[in-house]
Amino acid sequence: MRVNVARLRQFSSWRNAIQEKNHSVNAFVHVAPPAVSAVEHDVPLRDVAVGLKDMICTLDMATSSSSLMLKEFKSPFDATVVSLLREAGADIVGKLNCDEFGMGSLNIHSVHGPVINPFQLPSSVPWAEREKRSAGGSSGGSAAAVAAGMCYAALATDTGGSTRLPASYCGVVGLKPSYGLISRWGVISFADSLDCVGVMAKDVAGTKRVFDVLNAHDSKDPTSVSSAVRQLAAQEANKAWPTSSLANLRIGIPQEYFPSELSDEVLTPVRAAIAGLQSQGATVVPVSLPSTPYALSAYYVISSAEASSNMARYDGVEYGLHVPPPPGSNLKNTASIYAHTRSAGFGPEVQKRILLGTYALTADAFDNYFLQAQRVRQLVRDDFNQVFRARDVLTSSPANADGVDVLIHPSAIRTAPPLEASGDDGIGTYVQDVLTVPASLAGLPALSVPVQKEGWPVGVSVVGQWGCDDVVLRVGGFLESL
Amino acid sequence: MSGKTLPYKKWLDSSRRNGCWYTVGASIFGGPRAFNDFPKDVCLVGCPFDPGWRWPGWQVIIGIETHAQLKARQKLFSNSLTSSLGEEPNTHVSPFDAAFPGTLPNLNQNCVDIALRTAIALNCNIQPRSSFDRKHYFYSDLPTGYQITQHYAPIALNGYLCIPGRDSPIRIKQIQLEQDTAKSTFNPRTRTSSIDLNRAGAALVEIVTEPDLRSPEEAGAYGSLRCDVNVSVNPIGKPWGTRCEIKNLNSVKFMQAAIIHEIDRQRALLSADDGFVPQETRGFNQDTFETFALRSKEDAPDYRYMPDPNLGFLTITPERIEKTVHTMPELPWETRKRLLEAYKLSEQDVDVLFNLDIGGGAVTYFDRIRGLCSTGALLLMVHELVGRLHTSKLTFADNPISTAQLGELVDLVQNGSITGTSGKLLLRKMLAEPNEETTTERARALSLLVESSSDDETAALCAAAIAALPNEAAAYRKGHENVLNKILGRVMKESRGRADSKRVKECLISQLKEQ
Repeated sequence: MRVNVARLRQFSSWRNAIQEKNHSVNAFVHVAPPAVSAVEHDVPLRDVAVGLKDMICTLDMATSSSSLMLKEFKSPFDATVVSLLREAGADIVGKLNCDEFGMGSLNIHSVHGPVINPFQLPSSVPWAEREKRSAGGSSGGSAAAVAAGMCYAALATDTGGSTRLPASYCGVVGLKPSYGLISRWGVISFADSLDCVGVMAKDVAGTKRVFDVLNAHDSKDPTSVSSAVRQLAAQEANKAWPTSSLANLRIGIPQEYFPSELSDEVLTPVRAAIAGLQSQGATVVPVSLPSTPYALSAYYVISSAEASSNMARYDGVEYGLHVPPPPGSNLKNTASIYAHTRSAGFGPEVQKRILLGTYALTADAFDNYFLQAQRVRQLVRDDFNQVFRARDVLTSSPANADGVDVLIHPSAIRTAPPLEASGDDGIGTYVQDVLTVPASLAGLPALSVPVQKEGWPVGVSVVGQWGCDDVVLRVGGFLESL
Repeated sequence: MSGKTLPYKKWLDSSRRNGCWYTVGASIFGGPRAFNDFPKDVCLVGCPFDPGWRWPGWQVIIGIETHAQLKARQKLFSNSLTSSLGEEPNTHVSPFDAAFPGTLPNLNQNCVDIALRTAIALNCNIQPRSSFDRKHYFYSDLPTGYQITQHYAPIALNGYLCIPGRDSPIRIKQIQLEQDTAKSTFNPRTRTSSIDLNRAGAALVEIVTEPDLRSPEEAGAYGSLRCDVNVSVNPIGKPWGTRCEIKNLNSVKFMQAAIIHEIDRQRALLSADDGFVPQETRGFNQDTFETFALRSKEDAPDYRYMPDPNLGFLTITPERIEKTVHTMPELPWETRKRLLEAYKLSEQDVDVLFNLDIGGGAVTYFDRIRGLCSTGALLLMVHELVGRLHTSKLTFADNPISTAQLGELVDLVQNGSITGTSGKLLLRKMLAEPNEETTTERARALSLLVESSSDDETAALCAAAIAALPNEAAAYRKGHENVLNKILGRVMKESRGRADSKRVKECLISQLKEQ
């Protein structure tokens, strides 16, 4: 029996796909050799091929975060999510490309080279010579791998949209769960108060299947929420939407999430999806989240500040890249010595954010930027609590009887952008984030579901109250079956 | 406490006198960082000085920040074991301590309990909600590039500590929990630094006083190892001067020397025309006993304090505080009072016991034996024991003699079964070759028991001594009674101190009278 399993894995369709396509997609940066599953009995993910974003620590494979700083780094432990997957019988096929340390939205900032979106419009051009478009970021490799059939599911991370955006561009399902549900032990930190482990799969059922295995309290993660609180949230969700049927579903359409920059390519299928749900009995209401215009600035201040703090450990002393100071260097000052390693090891996008974040934390700037951003963050949370029907169990905010169960809006402003044109990111790339960042600031569950049957993929986001991930997944399922 | 004033030179040259640890160091913290490194000299407690003759017309303002390592089994945010001195480097290190990617902090509640005990001992207000912040700077002993501390909201505020020699207490501004750094050792020959991460992440409390101290002696009485000191001077009656911080003083002796040098330095600066004291952070040179500039106000680093996003708020309930109050150990000043009053020990004896206590358990040992016998004989033995340990450079923790054994020894001396001299000999033997035997068995084996010499033996010894000293015998018979002591001394010498001097005396008198 064991030998047969090994053969199965060797010649599985997943691994065949990796062999055929990875060269042209550059999703996988490391492929694990097929291993025999150690688990014999009935397990939820037996032999299911799962890829891991290269920011998730694995004992048996390097974890580079797509950075020169950690290119050869081997973690001495498995992340909790990796242990859970292994216990569930999953076949962990390899590590996936991403933007360096999770910073970026196009997966072009990587020491392994960019990820190329596997999608191709029907055309006579051979697939390997298809129009090169971005797979989105920062978890471009995860989305592309799933889209190209290289794995059943992929784990990613999401700090400001890094799972939902690539899911939208590549045409797969991407879930950013409620903050605090999936353990971050062993997940390399970008911004601790925003980071979540994301799950991607071809469909909602696959996403839920993997999410259920990972959705557990972990005492090693101090931000992991207790089982009691999770249950409380589930009860609240049930109270608000007891039937779980479309007939009783109230959907909010947030007006601030339809900016003028939104392309028609996106608007048309999103409208159609909403109309489809409405025609099946759902109630659709316009809502407003007035703090949305400030959310983007708050996000960039907070995430950069936290990033500058989390990147401080990369000095080449205990592990990772070490660039010895050249002869004649100033050796008296530790910072000057470390600068040699850090300037070489970090790419330009990471350096930009470290500088921005360091500035935001300086004594002069702290009140005006960091503290102010935290206040805005609270306003964003309050906005969501005012529109949802289900109560937020983490705070003492009251329930809103006229509220909605979920919000639905576009995941991205456009379809996948061409790779060539995206040399300089500029402000434009950041504007995209306005659609994904508020749910990150508020720690809410958000799911991107592909709604475009033809043409470049378009994703629709479903956002729910904290802890109501099953509600969000259920609505995602309805969207899928339209 | 004598109230006498001493001349400066005499103070400097004064004989060794053990410092008196009024700080909570002994029972709550891990004690001194180096077990043998508590200062034995120049720590004069309770000798009020007339400052007039040292810096006439000047007032000195001193504040102290102490970093004390908590006596916890594991580190503050990881479950690696804490290390003691002399451990193999880099053996108590977890991935979190080494700042590996993907690791997260886990607050050790035992450390919080110890910090709470500290706060209670120092009469502080414990904050129901406190939080943790990251203090950022780059240094080789700081793997994460930041230290987790409590900058914005520490665990306790507004306490006080009474010290001898002054009526008003020293106010404690705050107590905060924080991580210790790794240990960095520089080798000047190879020009390399070696980093030992054993200490990285161990729990510290930083105890900050208000600037209430007014002299180096008060600072010494407050006592502190591993501290930073803030010093300023001003002419009496004028506003306070600019303070300078002196960092990394790791003994009371060095702290006092640094303060004294700093006072003189600042006075000299201010005495010049248009003189001023630039605000600086300074270090202390242990060879020259002088402070030196480390950095100026302009070079002061911006630590970019940021609330740690992983740790949230530390909530302390009233119930937890109650429970901690009820499980507090006896505080040093309570012990001191008890030893002075109930046991009627002298101040000096209490000082001795306290100093031994740092090595481990002297007071508890004393408490246990105390119940077994009278104080006089006991003190004799304790002094002897302490003296022997000290000569052999052992701490009290190395004492192999059980309370039962020592108690029995004291009994034997008290009831006359062995002489005092024999007792001391026996003690030395028990220290040199410790075993499980009862003291009585041991004494018998060494023929030290007075009862073991029979009347015949005593009579024989007396006769021999009388025969050996005919002149003295004759003198006694003629009425020179004092000369008996010489003959007695001879008997004692011959019996190697084992004979019962009273019985020998009686025997000698009766033998001498016979002839």
